[in-house]
Amino acid sequence: MEAINIFIKSAFIENMVLAYFLGMCSFLAVSKSVKTAFGLGLAVIFVLGITMPINWVINEYLLSETGLFGMDLTFLRFILFIAVIASMVQLVEMVVEKFSPALYTSLGIFLPLITVNCAILGGSLFMISREYNFVESVAFGLGGGFGWFLAIVLLAAIREKIRYSDVPAPLRGLGIAFILTGLMGIAFMSLMGIDPAAFAK
Amino acid sequence: MSNSYIITFTFILTAVVALSLTVLRQATEPLAEKNEELFKKKAILAAVKDYLPGGKSIDEFSGDEILSLFDKQVQDIVVDATGKVVAEDGGENIEVAKVWKEAPEKRQLPVYIYKHPEHTCYIFPMRGKGLWDDIWGNIALGPDLNEVVGVAFDHKGETPGLGAEIKDNPKFAEQFAGKKIFDEQGQFVSIVLKKGGAAPGDEHAVDAVTGATLTSDGVTAMLKDALSWYLPYIESVKAGKQ
Amino acid sequence: MADTAVKEVKKREPLLGKKERKLLLDPLNDNNPITVQVLGICSALAVTSMVLPSVVMAVAVTFVTAFSNLFVSLLRRRIPKQVRMIAQLVIIAFLVTVVELLLKAYNYPVYKQLSVYIGLIITNCIVMGRLEAFAMANKPWQSFLDGIGNGLGYGAILITVAVVRELFGKGSLFAGTPIALNIIGPNADYWIDTSSNPWFSWYVNNNLMVLPIAAMFIIAILIWIQRTVNPKLVDAS
Repeated sequence: MEAINIFIKSAFIENMVLAYFLGMCSFLAVSKSVKTAFGLGLAVIFVLGITMPINWVINEYLLSETGLFGMDLTFLRFILFIAVIASMVQLVEMVVEKFSPALYTSLGIFLPLITVNCAILGGSLFMISREYNFVESVAFGLGGGFGWFLAIVLLAAIREKIRYSDVPAPLRGLGIAFILTGLMGIAFMSLMGIDPAAFAK
Repeated sequence: MSNSYIITFTFILTAVVALSLTVLRQATEPLAEKNEELFKKKAILAAVKDYLPGGKSIDEFSGDEILSLFDKQVQDIVVDATGKVVAEDGGENIEVAKVWKEAPEKRQLPVYIYKHPEHTCYIFPMRGKGLWDDIWGNIALGPDLNEVVGVAFDHKGETPGLGAEIKDNPKFAEQFAGKKIFDEQGQFVSIVLKKGGAAPGDEHAVDAVTGATLTSDGVTAMLKDALSWYLPYIESVKAGKQ
Repeated sequence: MADTAVKEVKKREPLLGKKERKLLLDPLNDNNPITVQVLGICSALAVTSMVLPSVVMAVAVTFVTAFSNLFVSLLRRRIPKQVRMIAQLVIIAFLVTVVELLLKAYNYPVYKQLSVYIGLIITNCIVMGRLEAFAMANKPWQSFLDGIGNGLGYGAILITVAVVRELFGKGSLFAGTPIALNIIGPNADYWIDTSSNPWFSWYVNNNLMVLPIAAMFIIAILIWIQRTVNPKLVDAS
């Protein structure tokens, strides 16, 4: 039940982009149209869902003091995590290309971008600092990815419409996107008082 | 470029990086460990702030002074859920966050006894949930194990300026001094954070943090849960004194 | 090898010629990493609620961009194309771990405050972005300067945002440092005491400024000002 709780919390209440600014670069850069935003969002859910459990296993069984080497190697965490993420992204890219060329053409260009999406590494680091167990980290990965997906599709939809509005010239493009993100963040904050445990019952 | 070149390159790069990081970590580890220890001990001693030597505040002590003060004046015993003292020493090595996840009846937690010449204080570590994430702290009770000497709270990720005030605003913690955890009949009532302000003269309530209802509720629940867990120990010490 | 490469550059070109100065100063305005290149907005903004952690973050990011640029530029002909990304990331992760270990040893409170955000410098797109756009095609000394320039441009925005947020959100500046200033607040500890000063009795701290969201609005306003002064940066579309 704790896992459902974490899924809801990480998707809506502690949204990765809107509450922690994770993955903000690609969030702003790739939110010009709903179609591309949709593709990138899906890819993020996918990669977060895969890397989170792998990094959990690495941290628990290789790096921690009770792990395979019997000593505290947590200072190598950043390097190993980012290597896992980079190679997973590469692997996912190859697998998708081989088995589903259609999906590859729609996701393909975004996959390399995901390696440097802070949401992926951030997710793994948050998972460690919050001491999630294996199931919880899977839920956190999927929930966080879904929240990210939701936020970028919403922002892209607004940006598609706002093109027809009379925004002051210096604010056009980037400036208004910042303001929109801020307003969306405030809107998501109103979900803060919700107790996710109530859903899990 | 051939495959063997790629593999050699990757291997050398990784080896150089891993080796230099290991060296650097070996060099900085003693300092980092001392910092961590200091951080923890400072939080414990912060709870007895009015009874520190020379009447100074905790921030006026240097790192080494805090460590030696802790060594000299604080006994770190370990108690279990029935209030029995399991160990007379070594409580400082227990990771409260980890133990707190165990079933209450299995927990073995430290109690820090601060030996002040006239005013022995009992410091109890606590752990709970705030709005976003874990909150924790230490509460110090006076020799009667009823009157609060002081508290020190910390948190993992409460909203800065709202929930985070439990740590950042010294006025919040100051309210706790002089409050009582038992009523006149000797019943355990804990201390409650009242939204909109505690009634003047209420010995069991303090003002909640403005705008942070859920963090405040979390602190109230943490005080109640943690102190009830220590209750058997508190009762046994009280009984021993009479 | 590192030494000879730098010396060669020194011999042939002045250490801080016109081009080098441009590398340092351009990112402060015309080519600012945050407001123009849209790089590195990620996580680092979440630490801007106070000036002290922002300064530490700015220094850390400058250190990482400068040295990763330097190392990658030195190795630029040796890094195999197929593992380029991973090699770059390993170098960045190495430097970030160095920052983390140093902070843990020498400034523990700030280390605690920044927590996971230090690790996130790795995926801060500004680092990777400069490696790809500059260091892979330029000489080490220039790349190093480019890294410093971009770090400074990034830091300038970070600290500007932090000053606004701390001043209006908490009424203080530089809290936690030896030069901490208590400017405006409801008791006698502050220069302007809103509880007794007749001119400022209406003033309360703005809680929105304390929330991370505030950084978004402040940057939007900075972009607005910058593009009004410097119209060539305005988005055409």
